[in-house]
Amino acid sequence: MLFSYSWLSEYVKGTMLKPDKLADLLSLRSFEVEGVEKKGSDWILDIDVLPNRAHDALNHSGMAREIAAITQKEFIPFVQKKAKVEKGSLKPLKVTIQAKAQVPRYISYVIEGIKVEPSPKWMRDRLESVGINSINNIVDITNYVMLETGQPLHVFDYDTIRDQKMLVRLSKKGEKIEILDGKNYTLAPGLLVIEDKGRLIDLAGVMGGKLSAVSNTTKNIIFQAANFDPSTIYKARKELGIITEASTIYASGIDSNLGEAGLEAALSLLKKTGGGKVVQIIDIYPKKETSRKLNVSVSEVEEFLGVKISAAEIQRILTPLGFSVSKKGDSLSATVPSRRIDVSIVEDIMEEIGRMYGYEKIPAVFPSASLLPPEPNLDLFWQERVRNSLLEAGFTEVYSYSFIGEKDKELFQYSLKDAKTLVEVTNPTSQDFKYLRSTLIENMTKAVEKNQKNFSKIKIFEMGKVFSNKNTLKERTMVSGVLTAEEFYVLKGVVDFMLERLGISDAWYDEHKATPEQSRVSLWNSKRVAEIKVGQEEIGFLGEVSKGILSKLKITEKVVAFQIDMDKLATLASEESEWQPTSKYPAVIRDIALLVPQDVKVVDVLNAVNSAGAKLVRDVDLFDMYEGKEIEAGMKSMAFHVIYQSDEKTLTGKEVDAIHLKIIKSLNDNPSWEVRE
Amino acid sequence: MENNLKTLKNTAEKGIKQAKNLKDLDGVFRLYLGRKGELTGILRSLKDMPSKERSAFGKEANEVRQVLQEAFDSRQKELGWSNETQEGSIDVTAPGQKIQAGHLHPITQTRRKVEEIFGSMGFVVADGPEVEDEWHNFDALNIPAGHPARDLWDTFWLKAEINKKPLLLRTHTSPVQIRYMQEHKPPIRIIAPGRTFRYEATDAGHEINFYQVEGLMIDENISVANFKAVIQEFFKRFFEKDVTIRLRPSYFPFTEPSFEVDISCVLCEGKGCSSCEHTGWFEMLGAGMVHPKVLKAVGYNPKNLRGFAFGMGMDRLAMMKYKIPDVRMFFASDLKFLKQF
Repeated sequence: MLFSYSWLSEYVKGTMLKPDKLADLLSLRSFEVEGVEKKGSDWILDIDVLPNRAHDALNHSGMAREIAAITQKEFIPFVQKKAKVEKGSLKPLKVTIQAKAQVPRYISYVIEGIKVEPSPKWMRDRLESVGINSINNIVDITNYVMLETGQPLHVFDYDTIRDQKMLVRLSKKGEKIEILDGKNYTLAPGLLVIEDKGRLIDLAGVMGGKLSAVSNTTKNIIFQAANFDPSTIYKARKELGIITEASTIYASGIDSNLGEAGLEAALSLLKKTGGGKVVQIIDIYPKKETSRKLNVSVSEVEEFLGVKISAAEIQRILTPLGFSVSKKGDSLSATVPSRRIDVSIVEDIMEEIGRMYGYEKIPAVFPSASLLPPEPNLDLFWQERVRNSLLEAGFTEVYSYSFIGEKDKELFQYSLKDAKTLVEVTNPTSQDFKYLRSTLIENMTKAVEKNQKNFSKIKIFEMGKVFSNKNTLKERTMVSGVLTAEEFYVLKGVVDFMLERLGISDAWYDEHKATPEQSRVSLWNSKRVAEIKVGQEEIGFLGEVSKGILSKLKITEKVVAFQIDMDKLATLASEESEWQPTSKYPAVIRDIALLVPQDVKVVDVLNAVNSAGAKLVRDVDLFDMYEGKEIEAGMKSMAFHVIYQSDEKTLTGKEVDAIHLKIIKSLNDNPSWEVRE
Repeated sequence: MENNLKTLKNTAEKGIKQAKNLKDLDGVFRLYLGRKGELTGILRSLKDMPSKERSAFGKEANEVRQVLQEAFDSRQKELGWSNETQEGSIDVTAPGQKIQAGHLHPITQTRRKVEEIFGSMGFVVADGPEVEDEWHNFDALNIPAGHPARDLWDTFWLKAEINKKPLLLRTHTSPVQIRYMQEHKPPIRIIAPGRTFRYEATDAGHEINFYQVEGLMIDENISVANFKAVIQEFFKRFFEKDVTIRLRPSYFPFTEPSFEVDISCVLCEGKGCSSCEHTGWFEMLGAGMVHPKVLKAVGYNPKNLRGFAFGMGMDRLAMMKYKIPDVRMFFASDLKFLKQF
C-alpha cells in the first residue's frame, strides 16, 4: 500500500526520521518498503504490509504507531469525536442481522442534511497522493477514514432504502446484484448481502450496490462500519473476482472495536465538509471482544530467541506497540491491544520482542545437538549412483518440464485409451502444459529435435517423476536415456554398464510383448524394442523411438531410448550390493564362431554355451554379428569370446580344450547350427 | 684363425668408431655383424669345426661379437639413434580428438553441494511426492481453506482425487516435512530438496516448475540464535565466502515468528553494486520458528518442542553460483547451455 510521509508524520510527535532512513528501519523491524518516491513536497512510501498485519497496519495511523514505536517517538492518535444524537425528521432505520455468525458487529450512523460537493483540496490531494481518485466529499470521507484508521466504511443514500429496512443476510443461489462498478453479478449462496424491501442493495464488505449509491443530490446518508467474517468476504472476493481495499482488509479480519472509532473519525471530517447531524446510531454488537493476556518470562524469551533481554527492556519494547505490560520479577504479563488480532499465542509475543529488540542483535549460536550422523537416504543414494554412471558414459543431464501439451497427444500417437490415463491439470497456464508427463521420453525426444541442428550426436538423460491415472494416481521416479545416430545395441551397452554399476547382474532383455504394463506401445518401433527384466519383473524398456514420431518432429537421425523405473532399480541394487569374491586364478579365452538361422537370438546361443560349459564358463561375450553377402541366405554369423575360469585352480590348456570341445559339440548338435572352424 | 679374429675385431672397432653417421654405421654393421657379415659367417662356420677347437674358438668369437655389438650400440646412441627416429614426425599443433564428456545439470550439482553441506551438519535428505493432497500441502501447515494465506501460493489443481478431495501439484516441499514428522520422532534434522510448482506467468525469475530446498530442525531447545548459526554457516560454505546474514520480519502461516533472510551480496561483499540493487543484500530465503499448530498437526506436543524451518529456491542458488540470468534456461534442454557445466 502507498503511504504519504506527510500524512504519517501527523501522528508522530516531533520530527520523523528521513524517508530513506525510515524505509530502511521499517524493513528491518516491521515491513519491507518497496519504494520511496518524492511527490511534490511529500514522499510516498510503498510499504508491503504483511498479510497478518492488514487489520492494524494497512492504514496511516496504524503505520504511524509502528513508526513511533521503532523510532522511540510518541504516537498521536487520530481525532475521534464522540457522536451526539440529535433530533431529526427522518424515520428510524431498522437493521436486522440475520447472518449473526458472519457479522460480529454492525454499527452505523444515520446522518441527516448533508451536502454532496467536491472535497476540499487538502483531502483530494491526500487521497490522490496515495492513488485514490476523488469522487465527492462523502465518498472521499469513507476512503479517507479507511486509509486513516483501517476501518472500511460504506455509505448508503438513506432515501433510496425502501421502507427504511435493512436485512443483513447470506445470499441465495442465483440472486443478482448490480454494484458500484456498474456490473451485474449472479451470486453463489453464502455471501453476505444487504436487502431492503425485496432488493439487494449491498454486497457487504466487498462493494456497495448501485441501487443505494450516493449521488450528487443525496441529502441523507447512512455511514456503516461493520465487521464481517473474514472467510465469507474472502469467498466472495474469490468467487466474484472483485478485489477492493475494503475486502482485502475484511478478508484478513479486523477488530470489532474499530467500527466506532472509524465512524467518529468520519464525523470529524463531516464537520469540515458535508455537514449534517447524526440522528440515529445503530450498534449491534452481541458479543463484545475481550482483551487477551499473554504471559512470558525473561528465561522463556532467552530460550526462544537465544539472547537475554531484561524484563524492563521487554516492557519498554511492548508498551509503545499498545500492550499494557505488568511485571513481577522476571515474569511479565502483557495485555494485547484488541486491534492486534494477530497476537494470540506466546510465539506472537516473541516475534514482537525479537523484531523490536533487533534480530541483528541476536548472536549466531550453533545448536547443541547430538553428533549422530545422518542416516543415508538409500533411494537418493542409488539415484546419484545412476546419475554418475550415465555421466561416465558421456551423457548430459537434462531437466524437462513435468508437463506435456494437448498437441503432444497427437504427436506422440496416443491411443484414446492411453490418453485417458494422462493426469489433466484443472487450471493449466497454457494448452502446452495441460497434462502431467507420463514418460520422460516424450519431452526428451523434443529436446533432440531442438538440439539436432547444433549436435550431430545427442546423448542425454533425465531422472524425474512421471504420472498416470488408472483408477488411482500413480507417481513414479524414472530414469531415461536418449541417444541419436547410434544402434540399439550401443544404448543397450549403456544400460548394461549402468546396471553393472549398481551391482545388478541378473537383468535380461525380453522381446516386447503385446500389452506391456508400463509403456505406451505406440512410442516405440514395435520390432525394435525390448523389455528390461530382472527375474520375471519388468523394470523398463529399451528401443528405437517410433519412426512416425520422429518424422513428425522432423528428426532425421535414428533415436534410441530407454526408461527404467528408478524405485525398482534402487530396491534391486540394495539387494545386490553385497561384495562378490573374484577368482584369483587366471582366465582363459577361446572364441567360437557359428552360423545360425536368422531368427536365432543371441540369448539362445548364450544359454546353450552356458549349459554345456557349466560353472567353468565365467562369461560369454558376443563380439561380432553379421548377416549379408558372404553368408548363406537366411543365416547369420555370430562370434563369441568364451571366458573360462575356475575359483579353485589354474585351468590347464587341456582342461579348457575339453570343455570348449564339449560346448562346440553341443552347439553342433542343433541340426540348423554350424560352428565354423 | 685367432689372429684373424683379432684383426677383424680391431678393424671393426675402428670402423665403428670412425662412422660419421648412422648410415655409415649401418654399413659397418652389415660388414661384420649383419646377416651376411664377416663375423656372422665365422660364427656360422663353427658347426663345421672339430669339437675340440670349437669350444675355445667359439667362446672367443662370441666374446668378440658381444664387444662389437656393445661398441656398435654405444656408437649408435652417440650418433643420435633412438627407436622413435624410425617413425615419421607429427604435427603437435593439430587438434586433439574430442572426448564426449557427460555433464550433470547445474541444479543437480547445486543440490549435491547443498546436501553435502547440510549433511555435514547432521541433516538427513528427505523426499516425498510431487502430487499432494490439500492436507499435506496446506492444512497441516496452518493454511486452512478459505484463508487469504492460501493466496500466497498459486496452485495447480489436478483432475484427480484422493478420498473425494482434489489433488494438486505441491507448491513447496513443506509437505515433505509434514510427512517426515509423521513418520519420525523428534529430534529432527532434515532438508527436503525437490521440484515444486506454481501457477504463474513465466519470466526470467519465475517458472511453473522449479526447485526448492527446505530445511527443518526440531528439538527441545532450539532458538532463533541456532537458526542464524546454521543458515549462516551454510551460506559461508556454499559461496565459499565470509557471508553474513540478516533477518527481517515476515509472515508465513507455518512459522511464528517468520523471517525473510538476506545474505550480504556475494559480488560486492555488502558494499552495494548493481546486482544487489546497491543495497548490499540479497533476499535469499524465507524461514521461521515452526508454528505450534504445525507440530500439533503431526501429533507432536508443542509444549516440549521447538524448531526452525526454512525454504529457498534451489534455482536461485544455482543462478547466483553460476551467474545464470534466466531461470527458464534450466528447463530448456539446450545442450549448448548444459554442456558448460
